[in-house]
Amino acid sequence: MSSVQHPLRKYLRPSVEATTFCPGCGDGTVLQCILRAIDELGMIMDDFVFVSGIGCAAWIISPNFNADVLHTTHGRPIAFATGIKLSLPEKKVMVVSGDGDLTAIGGNHLIHAARRNIEMVVICANNGIYGMTGGQVAPTTPREARTITTPHGSLENTFDISPMVQAAGATYVARWTTHQPRQLTKSIKKAIQKKGFAFVEVISQCPVQFGAKTGAGGAVEMLEMYRERSISVKKAGEMSPQEIEDKIVTGEFVDTVKPELCEEVARLKKKVRGKG
Amino acid sequence: MSKVYILREACKGVVDCGICIYVCPKDILGKSDALNRKGFFPPEVVDEDACTLCENCMIFCPDMAIVVQKRKEKRAAR
Amino acid sequence: MGNVACAEGAIAGGCEFAAGYPITPASEIGHTLAKRLPEVDGYFLQTEDEISAICAAIGASWTGKRVFVPTSGPGISLMLENIGFAVGIETPCVLVNVQRGGPTTGAPSMGLQGDMVQPRRGSHGEYEIVALCPSSPQEMFDHTAQAFNLAERYRTPVFVMADAFIGHMREEVTIPEADEIEITYRKIPEEGTDLSKIKVFLDEDVAPMPIFGRGFKSHVTSSCHDEHGNRNLIDPTALDNFIQRLRNKILKHRDEIVQVESDYDGCELVLVAYGAVARCAKEAVRVARSKGMPVGYLRVITAWPFPDREVRDLSERVKKILVLENNAGQYYPYVRASAAERAEVAFLPPEILGQVHRLEYVVEKIEEMIQ
Repeated sequence: MSSVQHPLRKYLRPSVEATTFCPGCGDGTVLQCILRAIDELGMIMDDFVFVSGIGCAAWIISPNFNADVLHTTHGRPIAFATGIKLSLPEKKVMVVSGDGDLTAIGGNHLIHAARRNIEMVVICANNGIYGMTGGQVAPTTPREARTITTPHGSLENTFDISPMVQAAGATYVARWTTHQPRQLTKSIKKAIQKKGFAFVEVISQCPVQFGAKTGAGGAVEMLEMYRERSISVKKAGEMSPQEIEDKIVTGEFVDTVKPELCEEVARLKKKVRGKG
Repeated sequence: MSKVYILREACKGVVDCGICIYVCPKDILGKSDALNRKGFFPPEVVDEDACTLCENCMIFCPDMAIVVQKRKEKRAAR
Repeated sequence: MGNVACAEGAIAGGCEFAAGYPITPASEIGHTLAKRLPEVDGYFLQTEDEISAICAAIGASWTGKRVFVPTSGPGISLMLENIGFAVGIETPCVLVNVQRGGPTTGAPSMGLQGDMVQPRRGSHGEYEIVALCPSSPQEMFDHTAQAFNLAERYRTPVFVMADAFIGHMREEVTIPEADEIEITYRKIPEEGTDLSKIKVFLDEDVAPMPIFGRGFKSHVTSSCHDEHGNRNLIDPTALDNFIQRLRNKILKHRDEIVQVESDYDGCELVLVAYGAVARCAKEAVRVARSKGMPVGYLRVITAWPFPDREVRDLSERVKKILVLENNAGQYYPYVRASAAERAEVAFLPPEILGQVHRLEYVVEKIEEMIQ
């Protein structure tokens, strides 16, 4: 039935026939959620500029999205997006990248963009590993996990990314897993409409690298694991640190309002030029 | 009435993926025995009447390889 | 001072967005821009580090803005990966390196022409670059303004290679009327153009830039790509095409880009220098000529692309070339290679590295070489 098209296909570049994701990769689900969010908001691709770094998640938007797409150097999409947004404030700027890109090499830019509260959507596909380069340890890889750079077991603690971004000053922070695409879509819609720095973390399965190396299994097993381990932010608030240690806390961490950088810049320019 | 379309050539297979089968609450999908051109076994609809149009399969699929559409019932003109 | 003139040159050159991080001896450029840019509806963003400065500038350039990043050697070192990115995706941007004593933290307030090859070879991979060498605060103004036009015309990063002496020197600077300053804009595709039908990258005659926000649906990637921005990491010819087209875009137009200032007709010995040292070289030539010595000079204004033709011509007309640099010989090997066996090429560093050559020292050396 070649005449049947996926309803979101129209947002993809005509030349793109398939994604480059591994079978069962959660990033494909994230891709759909982003497009569904845009579709349900009644927005078009030309309302956006998309920016991604380096890694599997960076290939969600590049080359797939039929829009202005900037595929940057590793760790830097937020820095590029800052320049784009300050210069083109009427467009929505969305960064889509992975946990290694955004919190390891790119951690500094994430912290400061949140601190500045520049209007931007950042979607962090967190698969707990460096997938594209062959399965090296990431700041999100669990302790004791055996990856290709921690063959004897990882000795390091992990980042709890969402609370960190909240602490840095973001005005919207949410976390979902790829087992919760409807909630994820809803959060992305909220993030897009947010007049401030909006961060959405998605725990996304990487069966080929993470699943294979740590024994977490295939796509279905990992999704089942997400389902079992997810608890709401509210529930987590009632539990002790020990009780939530191996849980995935999902939900909205913060949704607030603060002065936004581009608006402040516009106000400053007006003030300065008014004097002259 | 629903209609579940499997875009076979976009699918990366039930063996390595199989998410659609996992998320279907009514077990309407199963593994087909016909390989697609990439060498994967896509799913096939085994019990279409049981489909409730929940759209789980369509929403979860990482390759946008399943489309769920409400079948348009056309009344014959009288 | 030179740094302030540089900032004013940027504004005169149409700068709309600048980003930077505090670094001696360049900070005054940022200070001036922070104050002045909002006056002309622009903005200076002090970033969390140098890396985000160049990245933010490149992002802003992709929305059509004329962008500027002032820094010093250690900042350029941090930025090199993304300078390469700007080269690869053909992004106009102007960088200023107010060079300081290195290596490493070194002596922040001392001049050294220590980073001369850094723009050319500092980023990994094979590429060409454009770099100008101002010798005075006036040229800090002029070259910076000019750099924007070069960046826009050739869709490339352009370096202004100053140093602590030129940056902190105070001299009279004449600022022309706004309508006397030429402003060149990058070519942009017509609205509604189908990008798959035209080259938007890798055109040796400079492709129009499909900036963001115009509905072009541009795909801009740091990966090796083709003329339409499509990634190609597989075909053996893809990388060759990527490198050669980008290089030729600069080299093919070298006659329009390369600038030297020279006076050496009938001379036996010619001094070659750039930047702060060129001031000394010129003066030494004047003193030596007043003593009857047949000596001339060639001041390099555009360090890159290398003025190979100009140096070759020189080497065919004189017997000896003396390259003066405030370093251990960075530009000298290039001059020597271009002169090949046609002329004798020697190098003269200052007696103390980090200080501009003493005038008497240079004149003595000239006397020695003329004999």
